[in-house]
Amino acid sequence: MLRPERMRRLLIAAPKGEIETIIRELYRHNVYHIEDFVPESSSPEALSIGHPLPEASDAASALIKVRVIENACGIDPENVETRTKLPASKVRAMIRTDLPAIQKEAEDLIASRSRLEARQKEHEQRVKELEPFAAVPLDLELYRGYLRFTVFTGHITHDVVIDVPHEKYFSDKVDGNMIVVMVQNEHREQVERTLLDAGFQAIPVPDETGSPDERRKAHAEEARRLGDEIAAVNGKIAGIRERHADFLVACDELLTADVERAEAPLRFATTEETFITEGWVPEDRADRIQEALERATNGRIYIEKMEVEDDTAVPVEYQNPSFASPTQMLMDVYARPRYSEIDPTLMVAIVFPIFFGMILGDVGYGAILLGLSLGLRKFLKGDGAKNLLNVLGVASISSIIFGVLYSEFLGFSLPWAPLIFSRHLNIGGHAGGHGPQVAELMILAIWIGILHITLGRILGMLNARRLYHGRHATKAVIANAGWLGAMWGIILIIWAFYALPMMPDLTGSAITLPLGVVLLVGGVIGIAQENALEIVEIPTIISHVLSYARLVAVGLSSVAIAMVVNYIAIGMMIEPQLEAITPVGVILIIVGILVFLMGHMLNTALGLLGGGLHSIRLHYVEFFTKFYKGGGKKYNPFGMKSKFTEE
Amino acid sequence: MVDFGTAELTLEMIQASQLGMRAVGAGLAVGLTGVGTGLAEMGIGAAAVGATAENRDMFGLALLFTVIPETIVIFGLVVALLLLF
Repeated sequence: MLRPERMRRLLIAAPKGEIETIIRELYRHNVYHIEDFVPESSSPEALSIGHPLPEASDAASALIKVRVIENACGIDPENVETRTKLPASKVRAMIRTDLPAIQKEAEDLIASRSRLEARQKEHEQRVKELEPFAAVPLDLELYRGYLRFTVFTGHITHDVVIDVPHEKYFSDKVDGNMIVVMVQNEHREQVERTLLDAGFQAIPVPDETGSPDERRKAHAEEARRLGDEIAAVNGKIAGIRERHADFLVACDELLTADVERAEAPLRFATTEETFITEGWVPEDRADRIQEALERATNGRIYIEKMEVEDDTAVPVEYQNPSFASPTQMLMDVYARPRYSEIDPTLMVAIVFPIFFGMILGDVGYGAILLGLSLGLRKFLKGDGAKNLLNVLGVASISSIIFGVLYSEFLGFSLPWAPLIFSRHLNIGGHAGGHGPQVAELMILAIWIGILHITLGRILGMLNARRLYHGRHATKAVIANAGWLGAMWGIILIIWAFYALPMMPDLTGSAITLPLGVVLLVGGVIGIAQENALEIVEIPTIISHVLSYARLVAVGLSSVAIAMVVNYIAIGMMIEPQLEAITPVGVILIIVGILVFLMGHMLNTALGLLGGGLHSIRLHYVEFFTKFYKGGGKKYNPFGMKSKFTEE
Repeated sequence: MVDFGTAELTLEMIQASQLGMRAVGAGLAVGLTGVGTGLAEMGIGAAAVGATAENRDMFGLALLFTVIPETIVIFGLVVALLLLF
């Protein structure tokens, strides 16, 4: 909690004969984060990158085959539900016996589908080419084979008059009009010029015989028949997906594991007879993996636990209680914490939903979003989406709780008075009760800001001690204290002059002003001793605290939209019509209901975006900048959690 | 403006006119700060999308940069709300 999982660096050396055993053992435990071996000029010459195990290429080519079939059938292992886990030995046997047959079937189907599609395209093309000719009452063979005549066929902007002996057909029934002119060869150039002046664009005569209209219908029929055939083939491909999806994803998983294992030596350093690998394991698993490796190799292995020297090299794995773990996704979007710094995930997991609820405090919207987060689980698979939906679920529950406190339901008030401050804006004729307590809410938001930023600065002091060493650490701690002092100094000076509601009234006290000034000056000196340029950042003390006012401002704007929607839909459209129902009134009522639904849908989307984005922004910009560095490497253990297969 | 010579200015009229002025002030506060935020986010947003297209990991930081000027419009909204209530 509050810090990433403790890691231990392991150095493993063993004779090459044990390489397979060790790789298999490491893979099975799924905890060892391999530090890739990079040959450098400084490393001993005898060390070189290892060679993949002999089965690598077979496994890789089999994997490619499986992936091709998966691709063709539209199977995505991410989205396949695990029904039963297949035993690995059975899958291996099936890869030898069944896979080639499935592959052949899939390949044949794909090939025939692309053949059919090509033919269908051809026919469709023909239909398009014949379209203009269908408007002219001539059979297609009449267009060619003349020695002494020239035939012009093409699109033209308008009909033209030709003043030499000719035969002409014109139709404006097709797109771009159609003209066919036949003249003797000696008039050819003259006619061509006349036609070109009218924007003539030649089109070739399709190489067919008979009536164009009939031919066109025949081609269209053929294209439709081919479309049916393609649908049938698609049905067969879907059949493969139905029957073999479980087996294919199991193959994929097994072979991926095989390939990863077989290629692991590429990440090791090897000599003639031995290999060396360095990596990381969580501290509490280090002993167990060491024992397991020693047992598996009968002691023919050397393992050394090494000290952590450079904290940027350590892979970082979160260590949080389960309710906070979905929030890790929000942390990863910003940056993973460094190994030695404080991991604020837990704080974000608690404060983010509170902020969200404060902004979108409405039972109705909260319930809609909760339903959304539960409903979308069926459609969105994958870890990222699941985490996001979990975060959304918690946030919407908080929004319901705040909705009860604010007494709000889709902009209407609930049957009780607001338990905390009121946000009812009295839009529309339904004024009543307390108006919005904007000033109180603002000050509440400012208080939250002051406390949140104070917390951030205190964490900043703790972090400075962990991240830096020696004088730099002391300076950084003092600078953080300086920021804190400057902020509280400004607050005290304000308090000394003004009595604000919900804040201590210190206008009478003689000590407030001097204390405030001392804190401010001391704070500025504290900031300047680390870096004098930071002085220009001092106004951010005020702007960052005031920034928390968005908790109220954004929330009020969403209340305003909700109330306006209600007013337009119910107050203006539905209620007046209900007094005396007329046919026009019924239509107006239906329109009113539509306005109501659309407006609240829009406001739900805005509330989700506004509430989520502004809450997370307050964390990223106002909170994290006070203490958080981030930039840790992701802990990526060598191994795989098997979803579809079991040993 | 009201001509003092011909019309008596009642207290209600003055109050109503002041209320109107406050509403105009509130509108200006939100509107102008909104324009300011928009101008600021224009450049940042374009650069942020570019950076994210180059490197997907930039998304968090890019989002952060983009929303920094948002504070301006929030201040406008706060001022407007304080004016109105």
